[in-house]
Amino acid sequence: MKLKKIVMALTVAAMGSASMAAHAGDVYADFPVTVKDYSGKATHSVSYGGQMARHVLHTSLKKLAKQGNGAANPELKAQMLAYFSGKDAGRSILAPGSKGSFVVAESEVDQLSGSKNLAGKAYKGAVTSWPGNMTGAEVLAFMVDKASAANKGYDAVNGLDYAQLISKFAMGAVFYNQAVDNYLDEKLDAGTKPNNKAYKDGKPYTGKEHVWDEAFGYFGAPAHTLDLTAEQVYNIAKRKPEAFKLADANGDGKVSLYNEMAFAHAYYAAGFDKGGKTQYLHTITQAFFDGRQLLADADGQALTDAQRNTLKSYANVIAGNWEKVIAEAVFKYAGSTYKDLEKITAALENDGDISKLYRTYAKHWGELKGFAMALQMGGKDLGATGVQLNRLIGFGPVLLGNTQVSGIDVNGKYIQSASVSMTEYMLQMLKVQKLMVDEYDVTARNKDVLAGMSALVEKLGDEAANAEND
Amino acid sequence: MESFSSLVVFLSDYQTGMVETFSSPRKRLFIGYILLAFLIAWLWLRYHGQSTVRTMRECLGRNIWWSSSARADYGIVLINRALLVLLSPLLLSQLAVATWLYLQLFEYWGFPPRAGVLLPDWAVISLFTLCLFLLDDFSRYFLHRLLHQLPILWAFHKMHHSARTLTPLTVLRTHPVEGVLFSLRAVFVQGLMIGLFRFFFGDQVDLYTVLGVNVLVFLFNVTGSNLRHSHVPIHYWRWLEHLLISPAQHQIHHSVEPRHYDRNFGAVLAVWDWLGGSLHLSEPEHTLRFGLSKQERPGEQQLGRLYLYPFAEAVTSCAMFCRRAYRAATGRNSG
Repeated sequence: MKLKKIVMALTVAAMGSASMAAHAGDVYADFPVTVKDYSGKATHSVSYGGQMARHVLHTSLKKLAKQGNGAANPELKAQMLAYFSGKDAGRSILAPGSKGSFVVAESEVDQLSGSKNLAGKAYKGAVTSWPGNMTGAEVLAFMVDKASAANKGYDAVNGLDYAQLISKFAMGAVFYNQAVDNYLDEKLDAGTKPNNKAYKDGKPYTGKEHVWDEAFGYFGAPAHTLDLTAEQVYNIAKRKPEAFKLADANGDGKVSLYNEMAFAHAYYAAGFDKGGKTQYLHTITQAFFDGRQLLADADGQALTDAQRNTLKSYANVIAGNWEKVIAEAVFKYAGSTYKDLEKITAALENDGDISKLYRTYAKHWGELKGFAMALQMGGKDLGATGVQLNRLIGFGPVLLGNTQVSGIDVNGKYIQSASVSMTEYMLQMLKVQKLMVDEYDVTARNKDVLAGMSALVEKLGDEAANAEND
Repeated sequence: MESFSSLVVFLSDYQTGMVETFSSPRKRLFIGYILLAFLIAWLWLRYHGQSTVRTMRECLGRNIWWSSSARADYGIVLINRALLVLLSPLLLSQLAVATWLYLQLFEYWGFPPRAGVLLPDWAVISLFTLCLFLLDDFSRYFLHRLLHQLPILWAFHKMHHSARTLTPLTVLRTHPVEGVLFSLRAVFVQGLMIGLFRFFFGDQVDLYTVLGVNVLVFLFNVTGSNLRHSHVPIHYWRWLEHLLISPAQHQIHHSVEPRHYDRNFGAVLAVWDWLGGSLHLSEPEHTLRFGLSKQERPGEQQLGRLYLYPFAEAVTSCAMFCRRAYRAATGRNSG
């Protein structure tokens, strides 16, 4: 009887795990044209060039943010603004470019899509995680201004690393916000961008098909992600020579930034997943694929309520996992910041040189802050969690004299105030990690300050499932 | 679909847990420990002059392993495993307790001492292994004592003492309410020790283990811990029975004799009972009978009764307690 039960459990478990696995061969491309009155020459209906243009605008802007010389630099600022808020033709892709044998296909933003910028799509609400009561676009413009006048993007007086702040926040305020708060949210409603009409007259895709594609584009995953491992996708983003063939899915000898490269949160998801504890990249990409397949199967007809509900359930999977990817990043960089502070305090005790340590601390803090700000860009009020997160991290890293940026004056200059000690700030970093565990159940947990504790718990075994008694 | 995958997860957890009960050296019923217990029992009985046939009967007799009491044990093991799979995710985790304590210490103590400053690695590992063992053993003793002394808890612990025949599986004959209490005890003890040691000794903290088990718990298990629930009355020297609970001493704990009631609560160490005045040395000259009463009651091994009666009894004892408290508060002697 018991043996029968075990065999049954094993069989059912095997069936279940097979049904949950990502499907190799599912490529986010070549979905058929379903628009009924379409008369053009397009052979498929997938299109997200605008989103990929914004990805390279972001990566190029990040590169420019590191190029200041420490003095006001109107030329650099103008160049940065061209990528942030400009729409002019002829902008070069400054990053990512070819790297050795890893050859990239596009060199101009317009090859992906013309007249695109980041500012127009940035979060329109007030950003409470940054001083000054600004909108997402205003915060980014403010940072661009500061970065252009900073030394290689680094403000040593306030401990701010603008390349990191701009990059990590922009990913949230533009890509994450646009995808989960717009395309996967109200644009899935029945009255918006219907599936029985072309998105715009003459286009080969329906309203819903294009909405879904745009959200997929913002995630930043290669179209053939489901044929790759998380580590392979990570290596593609890093442009490692061994990843070139894996990236070049169509075998044309070049990696297309449109559909063969990994960007933004897809890259971070791959980074966490390669540790083996999570499957964010494949879960999100599979949900995008399944949703797109549902739309293709709807064959240009308006979606039924049941179809829309299924589509929304895929959207929920995407939004939930995407949020967790950002929470994992907050967790990771809170740990890095803690470890940097540990090294700085040890060096101070031993009269060691802290300049390099301090620079790394500012870099990691910038990443932490940028991701923490991004986490609040999903279009929902995080309530107490958001307040706690912003208070624990503050508006700047705790500096050597136990001060911290506390606001911005009317001239846009930072105000510093007395703050907690570096040791107390370390405790706050620990609390940030705990908050991410408690609120988002993060599981990759890179740079876990209390990792040794989990290892000990594991070593002691699952006592909670043990009721041995005498 | 969701309920189907929940069922899959449940069945898989159930199966894993059940297999682990007998295959993991972390568990008392690990097959290796049971085989060793048989060997020790065999040698003991033969040493005391028993014939092979009688020895076989005492170790493997159908009257022990297929008695109504033992059959109830098996049913309880199967049912409790299912209940534990459902309940354990709801319980507090060791990590939550350890993290909470670590953060409290950080808040009130300040920066944790740097690893290696206070003690060398070997001393930290030895201290952690020993402290964890001592606190774990003490908490078992203490909770066990409460289970006997508080009527509301005794109502549930009676399920364990209702066993008429003892087999190693009787260790799992516990009411789920008691199971939850024992799990929380483990969570509290481990969380406390991990949080405390990690704060003061950082990455130095580790455990001396054999086959993944605390070395001291391993020693307890390979020296016949499973014979505590058996009919083989292995006893130690009297001085040793003041330090370690022998199988015979634990069998006294299960005895129906009133003079044996509420004796020998300890798991491994006898010192807690010694200090607490509940130590009772073994009585090799007496043959013991086990259970709650001398007279067997019809239906006493029925699973429904074993699981449900404790709730009624707990409510009654709770009501009695409230009535007494009310009388004490209002100064009335009768209702």
